[in-house]
Amino acid sequence: MTSMLPLPEFKLLQPTTVAEALEMLSANSDAKLISGGTDLLPSMKHGLFKPKVLISTKRIKGLKDISINEEGLSIGAGVTHTSLRRSETVAGFAPALLEACKAIATPTIQSMGTIGGNILLDTRCVFYNQTRFWRDSINGCLKCDGSICHVVQNKQECFAAHSADTVPVLMVMGASVVIAGLQGERTVPIESLYDIDGRDSGRLKKEEILVRVIIPKTRGEFGFRKLRVRGAIDYPLIVTAVRITPDGGRVVVSGIGPAPIEIQEVTGAIASGDFSKAAEIARSQVKPLGTHNVSPNWRRHMVEVEVRRCLEKTSSKP
Amino acid sequence: MKDSCLGRGGRKIDGMERITGRAVFTADMTRPGMLHAAFLRSPHPHARVISIDTSQAMKIEGVKSIITGEHLPINFGVIPVAQDEHALATDKVRFVGDEVAAVAAISRSIAIEATRAIEVKYEVLEPVYSIEDALNPEKPILHEGRRKASNVLRRVFQKYGDIDAGMEEADLIIDEDYFYPGSTHVPLETQTALAEWDENGKLTLHSSTQVPHYLHKALARVLQVRTQDVRVIKPAVGAGYGGKSDPFSHEFCAAELSRRTGRPVMFILDREEVFYTHRGRHPAKMSLKMGFKNNGEITGVDFKVVSPGGAYASFGVVTSYYFGVFMTLPYKLENYRFEAKRLYTNHPPCGPKRGHGAIQPRFALEMHIDKAACQLGLDPAEMRRKNGVEPNTETCNGLRITSVAIDECIEEAVKASGYNEKYGKLPLGKGIGIAGSAYMCGALHGIYQNEMPQSAVQLLVDRSGRVAIYSGTSDIGQGSNHMLAAVVAERLGIEPTDCHVLEADTALTPVDLGSYSSRVTFMAGNAALSAVNQVRERIVSAAATKLECEPSDIILSNGEVFNGVSPDRKLEFKEAVVLAESAGGTVSVVGHYKPPPIGSRFRRQSVGPSPSYSFTAQVAAVTVDCETGIVIVDKIWCAHDCGKAINPTIVEGQIEGSVYMGVGEAFLEDHTFHTSGHAKGLHFGPSILEYKIPTIHDTPEIEAIIIESNDPEGPFGAKEAGEGPQMATVPAIANAIYDAVGVWMNEAPFTPDKVLRALKNKARADKRNAKIGGAE
Repeated sequence: MTSMLPLPEFKLLQPTTVAEALEMLSANSDAKLISGGTDLLPSMKHGLFKPKVLISTKRIKGLKDISINEEGLSIGAGVTHTSLRRSETVAGFAPALLEACKAIATPTIQSMGTIGGNILLDTRCVFYNQTRFWRDSINGCLKCDGSICHVVQNKQECFAAHSADTVPVLMVMGASVVIAGLQGERTVPIESLYDIDGRDSGRLKKEEILVRVIIPKTRGEFGFRKLRVRGAIDYPLIVTAVRITPDGGRVVVSGIGPAPIEIQEVTGAIASGDFSKAAEIARSQVKPLGTHNVSPNWRRHMVEVEVRRCLEKTSSKP
Repeated sequence: MKDSCLGRGGRKIDGMERITGRAVFTADMTRPGMLHAAFLRSPHPHARVISIDTSQAMKIEGVKSIITGEHLPINFGVIPVAQDEHALATDKVRFVGDEVAAVAAISRSIAIEATRAIEVKYEVLEPVYSIEDALNPEKPILHEGRRKASNVLRRVFQKYGDIDAGMEEADLIIDEDYFYPGSTHVPLETQTALAEWDENGKLTLHSSTQVPHYLHKALARVLQVRTQDVRVIKPAVGAGYGGKSDPFSHEFCAAELSRRTGRPVMFILDREEVFYTHRGRHPAKMSLKMGFKNNGEITGVDFKVVSPGGAYASFGVVTSYYFGVFMTLPYKLENYRFEAKRLYTNHPPCGPKRGHGAIQPRFALEMHIDKAACQLGLDPAEMRRKNGVEPNTETCNGLRITSVAIDECIEEAVKASGYNEKYGKLPLGKGIGIAGSAYMCGALHGIYQNEMPQSAVQLLVDRSGRVAIYSGTSDIGQGSNHMLAAVVAERLGIEPTDCHVLEADTALTPVDLGSYSSRVTFMAGNAALSAVNQVRERIVSAAATKLECEPSDIILSNGEVFNGVSPDRKLEFKEAVVLAESAGGTVSVVGHYKPPPIGSRFRRQSVGPSPSYSFTAQVAAVTVDCETGIVIVDKIWCAHDCGKAINPTIVEGQIEGSVYMGVGEAFLEDHTFHTSGHAKGLHFGPSILEYKIPTIHDTPEIEAIIIESNDPEGPFGAKEAGEGPQMATVPAIANAIYDAVGVWMNEAPFTPDKVLRALKNKARADKRNAKIGGAE
C-alpha cells in the first residue's frame, strides 16, 4: 500500500559496536542516530529532519543490557520500554521507572521505543510538530525552517516542551548518563542534557552516542504521576516525580517547558511532611503555557495538585 | 418450530473478513500502471488566485499530469440549491487546505514533490472567522455572485402555534445561551478514490463513499460525461459517520487525471487532509427561551442558533433546518419559534456528522428541562416521561408520529441506573443525570426532488438454494449488508449466511440514496421486504402444489418448506426453488420503497419529516474532582427505541458507538483553529495525536438497553439505531455534573479548566449569597 505521508529516502547503516557507530557519525556529515524511531520517523515524515544517513543502534552490542553493579542499576540506551516493564531487576530497583514507562504512548510504541530515545526525546510544540504543509503556511518557526517563535512572539527563544515521561523519575533518582564520543566516554548527571532553550534541549553533540543510564543506589521512596488529556497516546500536560527521604526529598516536574524543572528549596517542607507547602513551592516556581483547551492558570494550579498528590501517594506506600 | 433469525444476535455476515483483514478497501487495490495523486493546497485562508505556473513541476521525472481549476470548471455541491464548490480553485481559495492543483505521478512521493514545484501567485484577502465578522456587511464576502451579497448561506425562520401566548401562559421562563463546539468524524479509513477511465471512454470510480448514487450524478455533471458512462463502486469502507456523504475534490481529480493520462489513478488523502475535508459537526451558538407550567408542561420554545459553518455549503442548508426541526420531540409542544443562520467562514466546511444538526440543540433543550425541573421542584425523569409525545399524533411543526416508546425508554434507563435512588441524594462530587431525545429514520425526501423510489433491492434466488441480494445500499461498517440478508432470510426461512449481498455498484445494483439520515434499515429494509415477499409467494405457490396444501398453510423455516398441516410433508428450500423456477421461470424480482405521501400542513417543512422516529433516554453517572475539575463518567445507560432489533448485537454496537462519540464530544473534541498570531485560521492540530478522540481508557462502561416499539411501517417493525443514541449523551452528562457539584456547563466540551472555573464562580456566588443571607 502507498504511504500517505511518505518517508524521505535515506541510507541505513547498522554498526555492531559503539566505536564503529562513532566512526560512521564522523564520516557522514548528514547522519542521525536512530534507535526505536518512534519519534524520529514521524518527524522525518513531517520534514523536521532530513538526514541522508540513518545509523541504527539496534545491532550495537551491549546497548540492550540491564545489570546491577557497584555503581547501581545500569540500563543500556537501547532497552525498550517493554523490556524495562518486564524486567524484574528494574522492578526491584526502580519501580517508579516502570510506572513512567507504562505511561508512555501505547504498548505498541513501548515495544519499539527505547529508554535512550526517551531521554533524548526531541522537545515538542504545536507550531513545530506539524506537517511540512502546515509549517510552510506560517513560514516555519524558530526551531525549524523559520526565524520567529509563534508561541511567544518577538522572542528569540524556543518554548518547545520537554515531554519525556521517564526523565523526571531518573532525575529524582540521581541518574547519570554515559555518553561515548571520539575521545572516549564521559559520565554526566542526566539533567545536564537539558537546556532552557527548546532548540537544544536534549540534543547531544553530533559525534556522540548515549550508551547507558546509571541509577545509583539511593535511599528513599520514589513516586511518579502523569497528567494528560486522555488516558493513552498522549504527551504529558505535567509529569511529576518525587523522592522522599526521612530528612528531605526532591521534586521534578516536566512537560511544561524546554527542560525538566527541579523544584528548589522544597526539602524542608517534604521533611516535615507538609506536602501542601511543598506543592505550593512547586507552583511558585513554574510558569506553564496554555494549550488550546487548557489555560496556563489551570496548568499551574495542576502543578500544585500533582506534586501534592504525588508526594501523598509516595509517602503512603507500604 | 420456527427458528427465527430476527432478534438473534451474533456476528455480521461479513464480520470475519473485516476482522481478518481480508476485506478489500479502496486503498488496498492496485492496478497495472497505476498512478498516485496529490493535492497542492492553499496556505492562505482567503485569497484570490492570480496565476498558477505548473511548468517546473511538469519537468520532474515521473510526473504525468497536473490539473488546475480551469480543467474542471463545473461547480458542484451535494445539495442542489447550494452548488458552491469546484474540484480545484477557479478564482479564490477560502480556507487553509483548499485544493488548488492536483498532480498524478508514478509515486505519491513524486506527486507531493511536484506540488511543491507549482508556483501560485495569490492576492491575499482579509479572512472572515467569527460569527460577528461573518454577519458584518463591511467584511469581505466569501462567495461573490450570489443573489444577495452576504456570508449568510441560509437563514431559516419558522413559527408554529403562538409563541407569545405560550410565554404568557408560563409559570417559569428560562432564557439562556449555550455553545456547542464543532467536531469531526475521524473515520479510521481516510477518504480514498481509484479512478479508471477505460479505452471505451467509460469511467469506473472505486471510492470510500457513503453516497455512491449522488457521487455518480456529480461525476457525470462535473466531468461532462453521460451518466451511462460512469460507474461508482463502494468497496469496504472504514466508517463514515457522515464524513463521506459529499462528492469530494479528490474523486473528480482522480477521474480527470485518469482521463488525461489513460492510466488508473489512486488518490488517498492523508490524515491531515481528512481534517481539511472535514464536513463535521457545525459549531453552534444558541439562545434558548422556554416557558414551563408549574406541573412541568412546556408552554413554548423560542430558539435561535447561529453557526460559523466554514467555506462551503456542503449540507449546510439542510443543517439549518435540522437545527430546529427535532426540537418538537420527544416532548409535547404547541408553541414554537425557531431561527437558524448558517454562515460562511474561512474554515474547512462543516457538514453532517452523526446526529446531524440535532445534537447541538438537544444539548440546550435537555439542560433547560433539568433546570426547569430543579426550579419547579420536579423530578427530571418524571417530568420528561409525563410530557412525552404519544403515538399516532402530529407535532406542531407537522411531523407525523407513529410508534413511540419514549416513556418506556425513560422508565428502563431510570430502572437500570437506579436514577430515582440516586438523583439529588449522592455525596458532593457524585452525580447522575438524564436526557431524552428523538431522531429520524430517513429523510422523507431525497436530496434532489423526484418521484422515484428511495431504495430498491433485487433478489435472484438460485436453484442452489443461494439468494443473491443486489442493493445500492452502502455498508460503511454499520451492518446494512447483514440487515438485508436477515430481512430476506427471515421471510424465506433460511440463514442470513445463505444470502450473498452485492451492494453499492451503480452499474449492477438498483439505486439506494445512500447511508445518511439514518435511512437504510427503514428504507432499504422495506425494499428488501417488498422483494422477498414476491419471492416467497412464488415459492409458497409451487410448494403448496407439491405438498398438496393451501398456500396459506406453507411454513418456511430452518431451510425447509413445510406443509403446516402435516409437517412431516416437507421440502428442502432449494427443492422448493427448483419447483418455483420450473413453474414460472427464473426466480428474480425487484422490490422498492418509497415513503408514504405524508402530507404536511407546512409546505416549507420539506427537510425533517421522516416516515418514523426513534426515541432515546440516557442516564449518566459521573464523578467530579472538585480540586481539579476533572470529570470521570462512571457509566452510561442508554435505552433506545429502535422499533425492532433485527440483530441486537449490531444495535448494541451502534448504541455503544454513539455514546462513545458523545463522550468524546463532551470532554475532548473541539475542532479548533488558531485565533491569533501568524497561525490565525490554521487548524490547531490536524492529526489524531492533537485532535483527541477517546481511547478505551476514556470510555465509560456503557449499558445498551434495547426498547422495541414495533413500528407499523418499519421492516419487521424496525427503526434506526445508528444516530439517535448519540443525541442525549452530552446533556445527560451535563445534567449529571450539575447533580454532582451544582454547576451548569452551558458550553461543551467540559474541560477540567472550564469545570473548575465554574466551581470557583459558584463558590464565590455562594459566599456572597451567604453574606447577604447573614445580613438579613
